Amino acid sequence: MSAAVGAERPQVVSHVQQALSYTVFDCKWVPRSARLLCLGSAARGTGIVQLYELHGARLELLREIEKPKPIKCGTFGATSLQQRYLATGDFDGNLNIWNLEAPEKPVYSVKGHKEIINSIDGVGGLGIGEGAPEIVTGSRDGTVKVWDPRQNDTPVASMEPVQGESKRDCWTVAFGNAYNQEERVVCAGYDNGDIKLFDLKTMSLRWETNIKNGVCSVEFDRKDINMNKLVATSLEGKFHVFDMRTQHPTKGFASVSEKAQKSTIWQVRHLPQNRDIFMTSGGSGSLHLWKYEYPAQRSKKDSDGSEMGVAGSVSLLQNVTLSTQPISSLDWSPDKKGLCVCGAFDQTVRVLIVTKLNKI
Amino acid sequence: MPVWLREHSWRQTLAAVYLSLPLRGARATPANIFCSEQYLKVSIPPFLFEAALYAPIDDANSTAKIGNGNIFFTLYKKEPAMWDSLTLANADKEKLQYLRENAVLKAQEKAKEETEAKKITKQEHKKYALEATMKVEEAERKRIEDLKEKERQKVTQELELWKNQQKDGDKYKSIQKKKELHQEIEPLKERKNEKMNKTQIPNEGTSKTRLKSTKGSCSIFSQNLKEEQLPAPRAAATIKVNFTPRVFPTALRESRVAEEEEWLHKQAEARRIINSDLSELNDLKEEEKNPDWLKDKGNKMFAMGDYLGAVNAYNLAVRLNNKLPLLYLNRAACHLKLRNLHKAIEDSSKALELLTPPVPDNENARVKAHVRRGTAFCQLELYTEGLQDYEAALKIDPRNKNIEKDAEKIRHLIQGTMQSS
Repeated sequence: MSAAVGAERPQVVSHVQQALSYTVFDCKWVPRSARLLCLGSAARGTGIVQLYELHGARLELLREIEKPKPIKCGTFGATSLQQRYLATGDFDGNLNIWNLEAPEKPVYSVKGHKEIINSIDGVGGLGIGEGAPEIVTGSRDGTVKVWDPRQNDTPVASMEPVQGESKRDCWTVAFGNAYNQEERVVCAGYDNGDIKLFDLKTMSLRWETNIKNGVCSVEFDRKDINMNKLVATSLEGKFHVFDMRTQHPTKGFASVSEKAQKSTIWQVRHLPQNRDIFMTSGGSGSLHLWKYEYPAQRSKKDSDGSEMGVAGSVSLLQNVTLSTQPISSLDWSPDKKGLCVCGAFDQTVRVLIVTKLNKI
Repeated sequence: MPVWLREHSWRQTLAAVYLSLPLRGARATPANIFCSEQYLKVSIPPFLFEAALYAPIDDANSTAKIGNGNIFFTLYKKEPAMWDSLTLANADKEKLQYLRENAVLKAQEKAKEETEAKKITKQEHKKYALEATMKVEEAERKRIEDLKEKERQKVTQELELWKNQQKDGDKYKSIQKKKELHQEIEPLKERKNEKMNKTQIPNEGTSKTRLKSTKGSCSIFSQNLKEEQLPAPRAAATIKVNFTPRVFPTALRESRVAEEEEWLHKQAEARRIINSDLSELNDLKEEEKNPDWLKDKGNKMFAMGDYLGAVNAYNLAVRLNNKLPLLYLNRAACHLKLRNLHKAIEDSSKALELLTPPVPDNENARVKAHVRRGTAFCQLELYTEGLQDYEAALKIDPRNKNIEKDAEKIRHLIQGTMQSS
């Protein structure tokens, strides 16, 4: 693991810090704008959505929306650029899609799960990728459900434990491989270290593995291409990068793992403008910026003659400690390279700028 | 006895005395010369020269030049006056001694003062050096801070610029929207090509705005196209999953893996022990030398009620392998039935010893051991010890009703005996 040369290393500059009066669980940029959303839970047990706009060196609160149940996660992934509807999952298991201009009544609402929705992802919107817009939610009740906003009440796909099997909390979900209208996969990470890859075209389990520690976050490097890389982060400071181009019949996907921080790695997010750079945020309030380097040959033949992937290597570009509390959410701006927002459990949201990303 | 040097010669001026001392071949170093205000001594064993001077001299500035078998002193007088002689005329022994001691003391004091002065200057130098380093480091830190500030400002400016472009882009986009709603697909394709060309130009400044607007208009059209081409919602389906079973069903960080490993290891070790140095064993059949087989035999005999036979079987098994806790456990049960209560207690204790470390795996065995020992205690009327064991068993397995009932009974018994006594 080598660090980039001193003067050329990307710097993480803290641009704005905003103290909030509630616990922020998720923060997202509104696409095509300099506005960001903070989702969280107020002390009185209600959900808060705040819309901020970046004005010089401060954030200006444009709108605050309060909902009956605390909100855990949100995504813009499945809406069109014109509509920019926000899909949220809350503590009660409800999936709602809101029009932020008229937030009194949701555009779509369903009680998807019996327990809190831990993670949500959307695909097919924002002009990225092809195929129907879909939203996937992963919940504490052990199920992963895929929803189509045009179909009310029932999910279009559901991944549940077998009858009688004790359930494990699903902590994270991600879409991937959505490079044409039919193909799509959902990756889910569970609290016992299971990672499962579901193929929605064939409606089957395509691959599963166990990384021993609970999986906090999974993300494909790009949702809308043939699946290339998957990063899974876990408790105890480890993350794994899987090379998804070559699947071996028994050994699955090749991976490289790195133990980065002493504490849980809460989130991983790839830079939208460069799919080999990603940032991990940790339980000690630190952010690490990583670069993945491909090996000379991405696949090789093993002794039986079947193709096996070769994992590359990961190098640390920069790290910075911003807070004493875990940084639980992270989002890159899809419009400005290097601009990102992170929300931490010390009730602050920070806007950061990562410089010199062009030189990598 | 020192050899006195007396061939010295001297002359004087008003301000100074010049003394020349031939050394008779001895070699002199500065250490051999001792001089104070009114006393001068040159000691090169075995030669000695001393002089109690007529008047005080300035010993700090006076010099001695060593060379050519000769020491040449230049002594500066404190008071310019002509001396009658080099040394004091009536220099008796006492005076000389007094002078000598005085001289030595004075010399010592001077030396002390000098060292102190040196120390002070050293400290001052150190302080100065420290301050200088601090200044240098401060400058370095400031330089880095400045670099960071500059970077921050540059980046903030870029951000502002970008944000304004976003705003303009939005406005422009809405205007374009209205225009293009009247156009057909052909011009759309044209614009798509245009967009692709534009992406190849480095997009800084105004070209960005144009780019965004075309992108916007493209997406509207592609949106319309897409809506016609969007596939219908998927046919609903369910995928059933299994979760990875775990030997120990706790997450890695909660598991007591170390202890569980230790237990497994111990079990494996225990099975491998064979105390095969017993000569009587030669009589036994092959299978009778296997502790597991003997344990099974014992279990069968216990089940049939042949407690003595079972005890024998267990005894032999223990002789072969004394590290298997189950043997002791089962033998304890036999002793209970045979009312050999002390033996039962012994065996249960031994079994518990072997059942460390306490892991979920050997829970059952530990519960049984505690219960058997408790029963033995109670039958010996040692109710408090018995109760302790029953409570330990309850702690391991809180859901066992029988143990609870028995523990209650014992408590009542204890309270009954305490009331009556």
